Amino acid sequence: MALVSADSRIAELLTELHQLIKQTQEERSRSEHNLVNIQKTHERMQTENKISPYYRTKLRGLYTTAKADAEAECNILRKALDKIAEIKSLLEERRIAAKIAGLYNDSEPPRKTMRRGVLMTLLQQSAMTLPLWIGKPGDKPPPLCGAIPASGDYVAKPGDKVAARVKAVDGDEQWILAEVVSYSHATNKYEVDDIDEEGKERHTLSRRRIIPLPQWKANPETDPEALFQKEQLVLALYPQTTCFYRALIHTPPQRPQDDYSVLFEDTSYADGYSPPLNVAQRWPSCMGTHLSS
Amino acid sequence: MSELKDCPLQFHDFKAVDHLKVHPHYKAVLAHSEDDGISIEELDTLQLELETLLSSASQRLQQDKKGDRRFLKLGGDHELGAPPKYEKLKKQKLEGKVGHGPGPGPRGRGFLLDFLGPTTCHGPPRMIRFWASVEPYCADITSEKVCTLEKLLKPPEDEAEHYKLPPLRKHYSQRWAQQDLLEEQKDGAWAAAVTDKKKGLMGPLSQLHTKDLDALLKKSEAQHEQPEDGCPFGALMQRLLQALVKENITSPMEDSPIPDMSGKESGADGASTSPHNQNKPFSVPHTKSLESRIKEELIAQGLLESEDRPAEDSEDDILALSAHNRVEKHDMLRLGKGR
Repeated sequence: MALVSADSRIAELLTELHQLIKQTQEERSRSEHNLVNIQKTHERMQTENKISPYYRTKLRGLYTTAKADAEAECNILRKALDKIAEIKSLLEERRIAAKIAGLYNDSEPPRKTMRRGVLMTLLQQSAMTLPLWIGKPGDKPPPLCGAIPASGDYVAKPGDKVAARVKAVDGDEQWILAEVVSYSHATNKYEVDDIDEEGKERHTLSRRRIIPLPQWKANPETDPEALFQKEQLVLALYPQTTCFYRALIHTPPQRPQDDYSVLFEDTSYADGYSPPLNVAQRWPSCMGTHLSS
Repeated sequence: MSELKDCPLQFHDFKAVDHLKVHPHYKAVLAHSEDDGISIEELDTLQLELETLLSSASQRLQQDKKGDRRFLKLGGDHELGAPPKYEKLKKQKLEGKVGHGPGPGPRGRGFLLDFLGPTTCHGPPRMIRFWASVEPYCADITSEKVCTLEKLLKPPEDEAEHYKLPPLRKHYSQRWAQQDLLEEQKDGAWAAAVTDKKKGLMGPLSQLHTKDLDALLKKSEAQHEQPEDGCPFGALMQRLLQALVKENITSPMEDSPIPDMSGKESGADGASTSPHNQNKPFSVPHTKSLESRIKEELIAQGLLESEDRPAEDSEDDILALSAHNRVEKHDMLRLGKGR
């Protein structure tokens, strides 16, 4: 069965990952020695308050070594993170395969509904583990990293999370969190599933009603321009729900693991906005051309 | 040995992340033996910790690279390519200016960058600031600028309405005189109403009507104007004598040929008569020649400007400047269109 081979592949990858991490640590211990030397030299130069040619040559040599070490460490860390991403994508494929298999299995109840709390925890985890984009020096953040929008011809893949504008039973339109099932190039329409599977049907929507959600977090320390700025209007997922609402950015995150602080439009408050609420980097998406809602 | 303060190095803190404290999961994974491996549940937290490590390592790499570059500069290895290239650029620009050809001339930003290459972006800030300040003078003439120039150079079309003068209204002395008379009339009427019995005794003006007012005013004006009509002297003479009388240079004597404008001086009340005899006939001969002689004398003294002035353009700085500007604008427009 495909599922079994996926399992063994995952096990393989986990072992490889373990190796990589061990290598990373070796690299780090080696470079640490050099870093300590650089620190000592800095201190000596600062106390003596002059730069002698001896110090200059020594420091230059140390910098060169440190540069090489940092590059090597970066490479190994990137390999390890790529490995993790590979494992996760395999797990995701396995989940989708299991879901499809479950559809055709009559013995199980159709569409096992998840308890709300479980769904929320899953969403929170998915937001937290969104990979962080760390570009090499000179790299620019790609589309779908933080606030960078998707390119015009981007097509979301099955399993991607998107914000979808659907019409409710009472005629109201709402942006919901949905997962892409398939895309038809012939009709230019997506088939999406509401993430909250409780008795919701599958929607078929045109591209204009779909906003792909970010696939990477932006690092505020290296790419602050890839974050939404203060006072920018976005569609953000309301905490503990699966719907998107219009909001203004209050504070962007300061560190990679921090959340945005946003003010949701809310007519029940005097000034029209809710107090600041925390929303993970995964959820705010650019209003862009979808401002009509 | 250079001073520390001259050193462009920034002594960054190159400490590595202390993974033992900050990344417990990373530490735990390391502690696992070969057999244990990594479990799927640990993947998420491991991912986060690895991301932090990578982020700090890449920042360190960035700092190392910067430090390296600064070191090269410190050692004098870095060749500032801009100065020799700047000489070449200056020469070309001078040639261009003289030739006024379609080739050189106002070159664009692209030209500058071609010469300087990527050095500008990495050069010392002073150089960057200098080129940024020079840039507007060498920038391309865009089509918007061509349109602006054309608009500026277009001769003004509808100036006729600017030249129209509104009609003159009543002179203020007449207006005030009329207002004063009306005031008096009002006061008189009020007083009459109060007393009710003494008609016509409260003021000579209480019974005046409007047309009487106008007639009164005209009469006073006529009295003012009369001396002017009667005086045979030219305008220049009149002005001169007026000034002299004002300064008390000429003593006011009855038989002196002082013209009647002294009547004007004594006040606005038209009915008053000056101490000088206004009606004495003037018998100064050759008034016209006297006028012209005085004029010549004044011009010779430099007190009066002669009326035949030279061409205005050569004396008028502002007109000269605006003519120069116009020529410059035409040149710019021609060059802009020529591109």
